[in-house]
Amino acid sequence: MDKQDQQRFFEDIIEQHKGILFKVGRAYCPDVDDRQDLIQEMMIQIWLSIHKYNNQYKISTWLYRISLNVAISFYRKSSTRAKKYTGLNEQMVETPAGDQSENERQLNLLEQFISELKEIDKALMILYLEDKSHTEIAEILGMSVSNVGTKIGRIKGKLKARFSQLIS
Amino acid sequence: MNELELKKLWQTTNDKLEGSIVINKKNTDDITQVKVHGILGSMKPIKIFTLLAGILWVVIGIVALSPIYVNAFSEANKFFLLSASVQVLLTAIALTIYIYQLTQIYQVEIYDPILQTQKKLVQLKISTLWAARIMVLQLPVWTTFWWNETMLTERGILQWVVPIFFTIAFTFTAIWLFFNIKFENRNKKWFQLIFNGKEWTPLMKSMELLEQVEDYEG
Repeated sequence: MDKQDQQRFFEDIIEQHKGILFKVGRAYCPDVDDRQDLIQEMMIQIWLSIHKYNNQYKISTWLYRISLNVAISFYRKSSTRAKKYTGLNEQMVETPAGDQSENERQLNLLEQFISELKEIDKALMILYLEDKSHTEIAEILGMSVSNVGTKIGRIKGKLKARFSQLIS
Repeated sequence: MNELELKKLWQTTNDKLEGSIVINKKNTDDITQVKVHGILGSMKPIKIFTLLAGILWVVIGIVALSPIYVNAFSEANKFFLLSASVQVLLTAIALTIYIYQLTQIYQVEIYDPILQTQKKLVQLKISTLWAARIMVLQLPVWTTFWWNETMLTERGILQWVVPIFFTIAFTFTAIWLFFNIKFENRNKKWFQLIFNGKEWTPLMKSMELLEQVEDYEG
């Protein structure tokens, strides 16, 4: 792929899969301004890795790996880059959507539960809620399919307990 | 709310929000102008400064000590010479570990599976402990710089018992710290007291993360 093809490919995947970056960003970073920086760092890492994309994996698997790895680790160290590229801060504009309803309340409870999870549990929870197959979760996280089942079982138990606690 | 309803709620809400995200084309274009930075380019200025100061310290140490070994060894104060040499050597080893760690972190692929990438990153981060262990070994030599051959013969007993006591105490402390500054002791109070600054926060977080990764691998 030459540079122009890479640019086109990058723009296409960002446009088509922006939801992945956005959802991971929301789960790991509740503050909107910090989230802009986090999503910017994810995009930069995607761009810097794009020439190494291996199509043996689904593009979503590849994007989940990068965005989750950035959210878990790189974000803590991204201040240098954020200062260098301040002009990139506004590339994603979130506008409020939806009204306050019972669903919204349930979603708040769910987001509260996710925010309390540890980093890797959070990654698993996002993938579980996204309805990814155990095989794809195993590929993204780098663990066995059977272990995915066990960990999801554990996290569902926590979710159930936390939901009843939060509701009561 | 059951499992399916929960997933549906998550997906529909996020789909709705996703539809409202606007990607700014100009800024996407700007990102495609970002080039891969070298190791130095991706480091914070304070870290570059510390690294350069450390290298300069070692170079000055070598430049200053080498002529003494070559031309004036017999007249030199051996306590000073040995103390300074040990100090420079240990700083050089700690710097080597630090530079090795930086080059390895730089080679980690961000698109590899999460557990694999995170494990590599946190293990490298935790290897900072090795640099700290090497640095604490310097403790006793800071008490022996000013010793000299006439100290034992020409001075009163108190004048050499006190410094020797401090040197022995510093030696024991250094050896004890060298063997005990390790991942397994991260939850001990003395460990958290030593590694209690802002600059150590990523290291402590890395340790917590390694526990999670090991739990997942277990």
